[in-house]
Amino acid sequence: MTDSSVIRLREVTRSFGEKQVLKGVSFEVSKGEIFGLLGPSGAGKTTIINILTGQLSCGGSAEIFGVSCGKIGREVYRRTGAVLDNCGLYDRLSCADNLRLHARIHHVSFSRIQEALTQVGLEGCEGKKVKALSKGMRQRLALARAILHSPELLFLDEPTSGLDPATAAEIHALMNSLRKSGATIFLTTHNMDEAYRMCDRIALLSEGDIAECGEPAELCRKYCSNSELSIVTTDEHKLSLENAPENAEAIAGLIREGKLKSIHSSEPDLGTVFLRLTGKELDK
Amino acid sequence: MKTICALLIKQCKDSLHNLPSLMILIIYPVVAFIMITAMQDEENMGDIFIPMFAAMHCSFAPLVISSNILSEEKEKGTLRSLVMAGVSRIQYLLSLFWFVLIAVMLTASAFLLMKPVTASYAGNFACAMLLGSAVSAVIGMCIGLHSKNVTAANGIAVPVGLVFALLPMLGQFNSSLSKAAEFTYSGQLRTVFEGGCFTAQTWLVSVAYLAALSFLLVILFRRKGLE
Repeated sequence: MTDSSVIRLREVTRSFGEKQVLKGVSFEVSKGEIFGLLGPSGAGKTTIINILTGQLSCGGSAEIFGVSCGKIGREVYRRTGAVLDNCGLYDRLSCADNLRLHARIHHVSFSRIQEALTQVGLEGCEGKKVKALSKGMRQRLALARAILHSPELLFLDEPTSGLDPATAAEIHALMNSLRKSGATIFLTTHNMDEAYRMCDRIALLSEGDIAECGEPAELCRKYCSNSELSIVTTDEHKLSLENAPENAEAIAGLIREGKLKSIHSSEPDLGTVFLRLTGKELDK
Repeated sequence: MKTICALLIKQCKDSLHNLPSLMILIIYPVVAFIMITAMQDEENMGDIFIPMFAAMHCSFAPLVISSNILSEEKEKGTLRSLVMAGVSRIQYLLSLFWFVLIAVMLTASAFLLMKPVTASYAGNFACAMLLGSAVSAVIGMCIGLHSKNVTAANGIAVPVGLVFALLPMLGQFNSSLSKAAEFTYSGQLRTVFEGGCFTAQTWLVSVAYLAALSFLLVILFRRKGLE
C-alpha cells in the first residue's frame, strides 16, 4: 500500500450462498481522488462498499486507512462518511434533528449543521420532517449528514440515481468542492457520463472482477481509437461510418447528391469501452 | 456514554412523533384510569384494576416497543447509518434498553396516582415494574433481532406480549391457567402489584427469565449481529 493510498483491495472474494459475487477484486484508491466503480446492477458494487465499510466480511485483503476492513473501529468511522442506496434517515424527525444526532455522535458543533445544510442546498429546511422531503432532497440531506464531520473519505453509492438533472448537477458540484478540500471520494455508479466527468480514475466491474482500471479518457482512447460518424440521409436511412480518410469520398458524395440530412461524430465513451471489454452494456 | 445519550435523545424525539408507540405506552394506564373512574361507586376498584393493568403494561408495552424500534431501524437502514457513524452495536442495544425502561417506568407511574399508596407499596411496585419491563424489553429485542422488518416483528411480538400480559388475568378464572401463570414472570410480578412482597419464587422465576432471555439475546446477536 503506497503512502497516499486510502483504500486497498487485494484479491477480495465474497460469496452469498453458492453464488460468488466477487472473484478476486484488486485496486487502490489514492488520497484526494474521485474513484469511480462502474458496473451494471448486480455486479457487486454495493458489496464492495459494504466490505470497505466493515459491514461484510470477505476473503483476500481489504484495507481502509491501512486498517483491515474486518477490524474497522470508531476511529476509522470518524474519518469516513457514506451515502448509501438506502438513505437511512429518520422519517419522523426533522432535517436538523437527523443531523443533530450525528453531530452528537461525532462530537461536532451544532453550528456545523447549518453549514452542511447550506452546502447541499437545503438551507431553510431545518425544521422540515424528512417524510415531507422529495427523493432528491433526502439524498441531499443524506449527503449533508455524510459531510457533517468533514470526513477524509466519502463513500457515495449511486448518489444521483433517480434524481433530476438539476439536482444531480448540484451533487456533482458539491463533489467537486469536496475534492478541492482534499477529500477522497469513492463513487459507485452505472451512469457512464457521470463517471467520465467526475472521476479521476475508474474501475470497470464485471461479473465480480475488475475488467479494467484507469483514467476515463485514457480508457476511451485505449479501447476506442477511432470515433464513428452517425449519418442520417434525406430518405431517413441511418448509416454509421468510421471517422477515417477512406470514408471522406462517400460522405462528400452524399453531400453532392443532396442526400445528407444530418451527420454527428460519436465520441468514444465508457459504455463502449465496457461493451468491448465484457460484451455487455453498462446500463443494463 | 455521550453516544448513548445522543441515541436516547433521538429515540425520545422519534417516539413522540410515533403515534402507535405512544398508544402502546399509555393504553394500559389510561384504561385502568377509565375503569376505576367508571366504577368509583364500587369499593377498592383500584386494588383490582391497578395490579391487572400494571402486569399487562410491564409485559406488553416494553416487548412490543423494543421489537418495533429495533426492526424498524433495521428495515429502514437507519441502524446501518448509525453503525457506520461509529456507534457500536452494544451501545445501540443499551440505549434501546434504557429508553424502553425509562418510557415504561414514566408511564407506569400514573398507576400510583390512581389510588393512595404507601411508600413500601410504591417501592415494591417500582421494583416489580422495572424487573418486568427489563425481561419484556429483552424478549422484544430478541424478536427485533430475529425479524427482518416491522411487520414480521409485530407478527411475533404482539401474540407473545399478549400471552404474558393476559395469562395472569385469565388465571383468575381458571385454575390450570393460574398454575401456568405462576411460571411466568408477569404472573409472579402481578402478586407484587396486588400488594404482596417479593418472594423467593418471584425472584427465582423473574431472574431465571431475565438470565435465559439475555443468553438468547447474546446468541442471536452473535449469529445475526444487527443485520
